[in-house]
Amino acid sequence: FVQMRTKLNVADNSGAKIVGCIQAKARKIGGSIGDVIVASVKEAASGKKRIKKFEKESTKVKKGDVVRAVIVRARMQKGRRDGSHIRFDENAVVIINKEGEPVGTRVYGPVAAELRAKKFVKILSLADDV
Amino acid sequence: MRLEKCWFCSSTIYPGHGMMYVRNDAKIFRFCRSKCHKNFKMKRNPRKVKWTKIYRKLHGKELPQDTTFELERKRNRPERYDRNVVEDTVKAMKKISETRVEREAQFWKNRMRGKKTQQRREDLAELQQGIHLVKAPTALLEEPSLTLPKEKMKVKVSVEQESKAMES
Repeated sequence: FVQMRTKLNVADNSGAKIVGCIQAKARKIGGSIGDVIVASVKEAASGKKRIKKFEKESTKVKKGDVVRAVIVRARMQKGRRDGSHIRFDENAVVIINKEGEPVGTRVYGPVAAELRAKKFVKILSLADDV
Repeated sequence: MRLEKCWFCSSTIYPGHGMMYVRNDAKIFRFCRSKCHKNFKMKRNPRKVKWTKIYRKLHGKELPQDTTFELERKRNRPERYDRNVVEDTVKAMKKISETRVEREAQFWKNRMRGKKTQQRREDLAELQQGIHLVKAPTALLEEPSLTLPKEKMKVKVSVEQESKAMES
């Protein structure tokens, strides 16, 4: 479960690198894949590096910001309706705004299909793999 | 619904079983049970783990290649539902699995051929070496009838002893 103090990687290009969970919005026990959390940005990109020739590291989100994020990958397995379980290699989030729209423009790495049920369609469409 | 194969042991994963692990490079590993999952986490290579299908096929314990296996390919294009096609497919599946079982049995037979006689020969040699564990060497000397058979397969030590007792 993703609880308070859990550090998560950021899987988009919003500027944040690592984020620490402050509160898991979905359940008292903690969040899992597909849940929204409130987090504080622990580590952010400086904005000086260039990822590609025409793309600079964005600084939409700075260190110390309190943001909302949705968990897209989690180390703890999540059960599915058909009885199978799925787990990922790391804990990762995509930073979103109040409406649920992702703040960044790209999403990195595979993403759980559980997001579809939670209506995070934009993230799914941006992701490399589901 | 789809029946997957376990990445580690190659057994089928039925719905409701097993775990799916997605690596960060988006490669998916499916496991049929936690045994396989734990072995994977230990970074064991299934090609070296003796009870997996991969090992068995690699080391010639099981039928490595056959046309029946190729019929079990993964097909990604969904077919339009046709009752007759389904009926034929089910019949074909049965026939294919029957032939596969037959061929595997034949392979096993071929593999085990000559093993029985070899085993018998080995047992005989062991007997000749280790008869002192069964009967004391002095006893063998005293009663010359208690000799070990040369070419015969059965050791009739006790029977000869009985006949000796009956004679005296």
